[in-house]
Amino acid sequence: MANSSSILQQLGCFRSLVSRPNTMLQTPSVAGRRMLSTVWSAKPKPVPLPKELPEQFLAQLPHRMRPELAPKKRKIPRPPPGPACKDPVGEVVQRQLKKLDPFGKRRELFDYRRHARSVKPGDIIRVTFKNGDPFSGVVLSIKLRGVDTSVLLRNQLTRVGVEMSVKVYSPNVESVEIVQRTEKRKRRARLYYLRQPRHDIGSVENIVTKYLRQKRALTGGVKSNKKR
Amino acid sequence: MSPRLSNQLAHTSSCSIWSFRHAIYRQVPVRTFGIRSLNPPKTSRFDVGPGLPVLKSSPTAALERKANTLPLRTGAIAIKKGMTGMYDAKSGKRIACTVLQLDRLEVVSHKTLQKHGYFAVQMGAGWRRATNLTKSLLGHFSANGVSPKRHVYEFRVKDESGLLPVGQAVNADWFKVGQYVDARSNSKGKGFAGVMKRHGFGGQDRSHGVSLTHRSLGSAGPSQGGGSRVYPGKKMAGNMGNEQNTIQNLEILQVDQVNGIVVVNGSISGPKGCVVRIQDALKKPWPRVAPVSKSS
Repeated sequence: MANSSSILQQLGCFRSLVSRPNTMLQTPSVAGRRMLSTVWSAKPKPVPLPKELPEQFLAQLPHRMRPELAPKKRKIPRPPPGPACKDPVGEVVQRQLKKLDPFGKRRELFDYRRHARSVKPGDIIRVTFKNGDPFSGVVLSIKLRGVDTSVLLRNQLTRVGVEMSVKVYSPNVESVEIVQRTEKRKRRARLYYLRQPRHDIGSVENIVTKYLRQKRALTGGVKSNKKR
Repeated sequence: MSPRLSNQLAHTSSCSIWSFRHAIYRQVPVRTFGIRSLNPPKTSRFDVGPGLPVLKSSPTAALERKANTLPLRTGAIAIKKGMTGMYDAKSGKRIACTVLQLDRLEVVSHKTLQKHGYFAVQMGAGWRRATNLTKSLLGHFSANGVSPKRHVYEFRVKDESGLLPVGQAVNADWFKVGQYVDARSNSKGKGFAGVMKRHGFGGQDRSHGVSLTHRSLGSAGPSQGGGSRVYPGKKMAGNMGNEQNTIQNLEILQVDQVNGIVVVNGSISGPKGCVVRIQDALKKPWPRVAPVSKSS
């Protein structure tokens, strides 16, 4: 049984093979075999609705075309003008600076990138405060941050290394004096290597007292601070 | 959208008129907005009567309960622009402060007790292209005569007197220097964080046989005595940050009406450019201001 069916199958295959050339002859040319959907045709032009359409036909129209159901035009108000200030933080900072440093003296003194005569890293400065002792030390770094501009000073008190960060624009800072400038321009902006024992300058007290003595001699013994 | 009738109702349409109406009243849900109880009280004849207290589970009663803790006037939507410092005039101490900016802040609509169950002012800030909005939102804005807004938030107020007229602009001078506000914003997102960062767990030893679990949590719970399960709410690793945080009682240090700048004492959660909602502080006396400022 199985034998005969396999034979029949083969025969069937054979018949299909034989019949193929016939069908090839019957098929039309390639151009004629294109699908109907791929044939290009012009976009139909929209036919305008007849005016004065009788009312009974209106129900057949889609909603958007019906006069009473057509979507209404929304009136969208224009947005009001936005705030003119694009940098509010800068604005607030500038206003603060104008109040704290009206003549720009402090700024000149510490903006070391723009002013040649300003304090530079490596200088020895003396800061006097409204409340408390004056502090003097070597300038390790100057952080230029608008109102938060600060100077890091290093000194030695009782042979212990002391550092103090002074906010330059703080109203507590009464005056800043340059005691001694660096002999040579420092080739770094942050002199943190001065913390290492072999680079440490140590106490600047001697230099400061010498400076104060000189100053007193020049000003005729009147105790006054050079305020900048 | 009107509530739809259920299928069950559709079948009863062939019944008599009386039963139909009865079915409608039973089937159509009562629409309540705003405050809604999860377990609505069932009216019982034993609950009401002379000498019995009035039940406190209605929107009106809820509003009465909140009367002391709801601000009298609306707040403002602001954008966090960054932080800077200021010096205290008396002590000369530096104060850290946050700079906020109001951008085209306007009243968009109201929520009222009669319609929504509570009083609130819906505020909108910034601007948005009308083409980028959904039709529903566009309709909402145009119906109220307000330009499309980027950020829309509600601020609850105590009663009608706190409802500013729709379309009124709110400027930085809405807040007075020296008054206190609560600022709420989303904190900075930290992504999927481990337990040490997220919950401050101690982690495990660097050595002593610990391998590959130096920053993971120890045990997640007790064994058989505790039920052999992890209790709900167990602190574990997961998404950290980017959740709303309110910081209370921040003093207003500066106000600049022209530029819409409000400077607030201290820090506020979230990155620069995040949306901050500021409203009169709950834990301080309400600021003394005119009922409704006329400035636009």
